[in-house]
Amino acid sequence: MEFKLEAHRIVSISLGKIYNSRVQRGGIKLHKNLLVSLVLRSARQVYLSDPCPGLYLAGHPGAPAPPQQPEESAAGPPAGWGEPPPPAGRAAWPEPEPQPERPAVPEVLRAGDSEPAATVTAAGDTLQGGEAEAPEAAWRRVEGPRETAVGGAGVSGVFPEGPEAARGPCGCPPGDEDKLSAPPASPPVCARKRGAGWVGGGPADCPAPGSTPLKKPRRNSEEQPGGEEEEEEEMETGNVANLISIFGSSFSGLLRKSPGGGREEAEGEESGPEAAEPGQICCDKPVLRDINPWSTAIVAF
Amino acid sequence: MNYPDEITYGNKADIISTVEFNHTGELLATGDKGGRVVIFQREQESKNQVHRRGEYNVYSTFQSHEPEFDYLKSLEIEEKINKIRWLPQQNAAYFLLSTNDKTVKLWKVSERDKRPEGYNLKDEEGRLRDPATITTLRVPVLRPMDLMVEATPRRVFANAHTYHINSISVNSDYETYMSADDLRINLWNFEITNQSFNIVDIKPANMEELTEVITAAEFHPHHCNTFVYSSSKGTIRLCDMRASALCDRHTKFFEEPEDPSNRSFFSEIISSISDVKFSHSGRCIMTRDYLTVKVWDLNMENRPVETYQVHDYLRSKLCSLYENDCIFDKFECVWNGSDSVIMTGSYNNFFRMFDRNTKRDVTLEASRENSKPRAILKPRKVCVGGKRRKDEISVDSLDFSKKILHTAWHPSENIIAVAATNNLYIFQDKVN
Repeated sequence: MEFKLEAHRIVSISLGKIYNSRVQRGGIKLHKNLLVSLVLRSARQVYLSDPCPGLYLAGHPGAPAPPQQPEESAAGPPAGWGEPPPPAGRAAWPEPEPQPERPAVPEVLRAGDSEPAATVTAAGDTLQGGEAEAPEAAWRRVEGPRETAVGGAGVSGVFPEGPEAARGPCGCPPGDEDKLSAPPASPPVCARKRGAGWVGGGPADCPAPGSTPLKKPRRNSEEQPGGEEEEEEEMETGNVANLISIFGSSFSGLLRKSPGGGREEAEGEESGPEAAEPGQICCDKPVLRDINPWSTAIVAF
Repeated sequence: MNYPDEITYGNKADIISTVEFNHTGELLATGDKGGRVVIFQREQESKNQVHRRGEYNVYSTFQSHEPEFDYLKSLEIEEKINKIRWLPQQNAAYFLLSTNDKTVKLWKVSERDKRPEGYNLKDEEGRLRDPATITTLRVPVLRPMDLMVEATPRRVFANAHTYHINSISVNSDYETYMSADDLRINLWNFEITNQSFNIVDIKPANMEELTEVITAAEFHPHHCNTFVYSSSKGTIRLCDMRASALCDRHTKFFEEPEDPSNRSFFSEIISSISDVKFSHSGRCIMTRDYLTVKVWDLNMENRPVETYQVHDYLRSKLCSLYENDCIFDKFECVWNGSDSVIMTGSYNNFFRMFDRNTKRDVTLEASRENSKPRAILKPRKVCVGGKRRKDEISVDSLDFSKKILHTAWHPSENIIAVAATNNLYIFQDKVN
């Protein structure tokens, strides 16, 4: 138990350091932030592997969310994840073909979800709110990023090599994995999507982009049809929150390379291993809810 | 533990960021956070005062780097001098390299003790004379003047580093040098400023797969084709430039297996190497990580031959040190002239020396009280628990804002320079 608290504290401190590094004179120090992200990964692993799920399921106030969120989420995890028919249906999807399914996904999920609209606008609640519409947003996002990748001027602020630097040759923005990690709603769905991405059949043919839920709140809060374009634009204008999310996601490679056995399939510092050990899933949401205040704070800037 | 919320250094720009003796030990250069370089010169020992060892006095001061702003990337470039390296002296002038995060400069420091007088077209104050009024011609002559030391930038090596430069090293061929940033190492020729060769590049194709960065690099003291670089993962790679143009494949790889019993959240941070130095003989390298100094034999890659604990009592405080950022402090380490003693800094203005032959070590303090002329430094001791003796200082009383990151040792004598925040201390071995 104390390990969990200690780990959580370290995660908070680490996020604070990454956040403060934005305003440091002389630009972001790659070495220091790399080390901080290593600590973040270690703390996160300890946090997630410490078996005491009961503590946080009672409903942490966390970020600004509709009051019914905590209960919904508390009761939600099993229901939300097991619930949507789509997962069953999705199992039949051919891997490298996300597009055809796109129209179908949102409808099905929306139908299955209890509170799509309300959750959507909750800026702070990344995963709770995003359960239903995150995959939906994810699907849309999969297409979008390619343009932003090239034009991501904001990225260059972080890694001063030019727009493509933080993206790698494939041009996949960190956002990609975000959708894939939409997780709590439908793990099988996510696994499928991620599979597509990993296999290389994804639209951007992106090998291993990372992401961070830090982007999710923003996306969720702009859940209009034009939301996607807005986001791309934000990335290109070098939105500060973007820098954090991009920067954070750029080290998600470390998070993926967990010694616990190859790919942990974790797309961000704060998103749990969605397709991974089912035994841990019940911890994920509480964990994420705990960390939400931080992501909210960072995104707010 | 002392964690002052506000660390007052006086003037932050005066914080010394690098210290380096030249090859004869006659000159000592310091660089600071404000971009200034101050050079001290040892005064000549006079025959009249044989007992008085040469003292170091200010010889030259100049502004090496200014703050810059990269408008394209909206980044401010700090003027802090990260490293100074001297070139061997080849004529009357002295040459040194100084670098900030992005730009390396070659400075020429020369003396002027004569000036020309008797110009035809200018009068003594320098005002131009009307040529129509000149009826005779004279030859200007050089007349003595008060000694003036001037520093001029001879070369500026810019725009070659995307990341922050952490090291520069002059090659033993004296024609080339290298500069290293977090992900790349470039080789320069002193005469050519618009090109450099990239000899190491560890940037992954996908930055999200980044797991380690370059932390320090140095050329071998005698073999101009060999250099080493250390990483944030605690490894050292030795490379041979004859093997290929891009030295991404190392010739030797030095790494010590991790001790599983010491594993913690911060294991990776404390294993990051902050400095690497070849011994003067060229047979060994010394590395500094957060808690230890290690000596490696170039012929043994799987573990160091010697490991010295600098301040192991901090091992249980790593979380607090992470919180206040002290765990990211980059300590340097130095060899003495004969490679028999190594020295490195610690907190509370303590610095440590380890004698490799006798295996004895000593902790000394750089402070004003101890530094009256001819005062002998008293060894200090940190009490790690239990009863504290009279002269000991407990771990919780250490002042973590007083850190000694930069030290230098005279190339042939027992004279050391220790930078304690914005003060420079020079200690000499007592004359028998």
